[in-house]
Amino acid sequence: MIAELRELYRYRELLWTLVLRELRVRYKNSYLGFFWSLIVPLVTVAVLTIVFKRVMGMVIPNYSAYVLAAYLPWMYFQTALLDSSQSVLAQIQLVKKVYFPREVLPLAAVLANLIHFALALVVFFVYLLGYVRAPLLPSVVLLPVLVLFQTLLIAGISLIISCLNVFYEDTKYIVSIGLQLMFYLVPVIYFSEQVYHAQIASPEWQRWIYLVYHLNPIAMLMTAYRKILLPPITVQQVGAVQKQTFASLPMDWGLLAVACVVSVAIFVLGYAFFNKRKWEFAEQP
Amino acid sequence: MKDAAILLEHISKSYRLSHQPYSSLKGILLSMFRYRRRIEVHQALNDVNLTIWRGETVGLIGVNGSGKSTLLAIIARVIRPTAGTVQVNGRVAPLLQLGVGFHPDLTGLENVYFNGIILGLTRQQIAERLPSIVRFAELEEFIDTPVRAYSSGMVLRLGFAVAVHTDPEIILMDEVLAVGDEAFQHKCLRKIQDFQREGRTILLVSHDMNQVRQVATRVVWLHQGHIMADGATKDVVAQYLEFTAQLERQTL
Repeated sequence: MIAELRELYRYRELLWTLVLRELRVRYKNSYLGFFWSLIVPLVTVAVLTIVFKRVMGMVIPNYSAYVLAAYLPWMYFQTALLDSSQSVLAQIQLVKKVYFPREVLPLAAVLANLIHFALALVVFFVYLLGYVRAPLLPSVVLLPVLVLFQTLLIAGISLIISCLNVFYEDTKYIVSIGLQLMFYLVPVIYFSEQVYHAQIASPEWQRWIYLVYHLNPIAMLMTAYRKILLPPITVQQVGAVQKQTFASLPMDWGLLAVACVVSVAIFVLGYAFFNKRKWEFAEQP
Repeated sequence: MKDAAILLEHISKSYRLSHQPYSSLKGILLSMFRYRRRIEVHQALNDVNLTIWRGETVGLIGVNGSGKSTLLAIIARVIRPTAGTVQVNGRVAPLLQLGVGFHPDLTGLENVYFNGIILGLTRQQIAERLPSIVRFAELEEFIDTPVRAYSSGMVLRLGFAVAVHTDPEIILMDEVLAVGDEAFQHKCLRKIQDFQREGRTILLVSHDMNQVRQVATRVVWLHQGHIMADGATKDVVAQYLEFTAQLERQTL
């Protein structure tokens, strides 16, 4: 794997060119260009905020900031995986003719989305400091660490699905359905505290829900984004029968460490998986 | 002693052919229930030994499916042989087929950078060679236009221009010249003659025997993954034409 990484480093200029090309192509024929990648999450969060405050009875000051803090990393996860699942197959003619490390294709798709995510985070901070007027927590310094591990996780999954999609085009459909379902299994529209509460409310033999939920690295990373970016908050939900209160939980550093280790493991396994099959891409009829 | 540009020893390549039109999950599920999986091994190349010397222009000929393109892909390092060793001394530039590696929404200029980098140039090298590339492609007025507005001839010229400016020591051409018009073909032939004078190595797959006769200094005839003949252009082309004529008589 070291040799493969060294070869990848030799081709870093190609990787960077591919990233720029991806960014340039995406909004080439639209008037608003890059702003589209901001408009989509902002409108989504606006709608989610209205629905969850008015209809579902969430009583949380600055609910939109909490949604955004988790939705932006989720968008990064989702769009990077959707883009990269197609990345090798879209360039198969090139793959059949020219030698280059094949992993530059999915990795470029991931890095292009990383740049979008970084720009979206800038907008998030403008919103946070300018509009919400929330204090900037010292734990914000951990943000690059979370982004790094999330990127490794995404890259690992991308390498696996971009490779599989060359041989079985069903992969991209499975990925897109999987992402749609996953959205409900990560804390975007609700809070990890509510998951914890669901655990307390369940019979004793089911008291593993919170743990299992957060063993999913992307769910844990998104809980972590919220906790390092925004002050702890007590979630209140006004239900039909009674008002429920969910006290804020501290960051579970142990579970975050597990998520980071799992992310690195997925990257290493994904890269090994990709390397094992990458010279068969050109043989596909 | 002469220098070997390409050294192929005991090269074999087999493909696993499944008899399903599409590879899909459905296909896999169905094949699991089938009594016997129908996977056939197709031997595309069988123990090929070939040395190509620096400065040679070698024509690779043979009927469809004889293994020419597989051999070229192995030399270009995009396919790994099942057995045998490959040694390539020098920078290889494959000439890409029409439009491969071009993005229709990007301008000619942006595509030149992408194509050049994928063929192993640095940004700076491309910037230095840009005027010459544009002049060779005869696209001075259109270089800032998106490639989608180009005619196929223009795309072809631009792709060829980038490839010949990568300063390759070994040039691989797989039926790339068959598409252009008369003027373009002349230009390519002149460029090939330049390359020959400069002592570069050229490997050319073609079905156009006139073209092969015109440029090749040596011809290798592949048939069913074996080398049938290897030698002087005139002799091998004659043998091959004799063989195809015979084949035609048999099928009639």
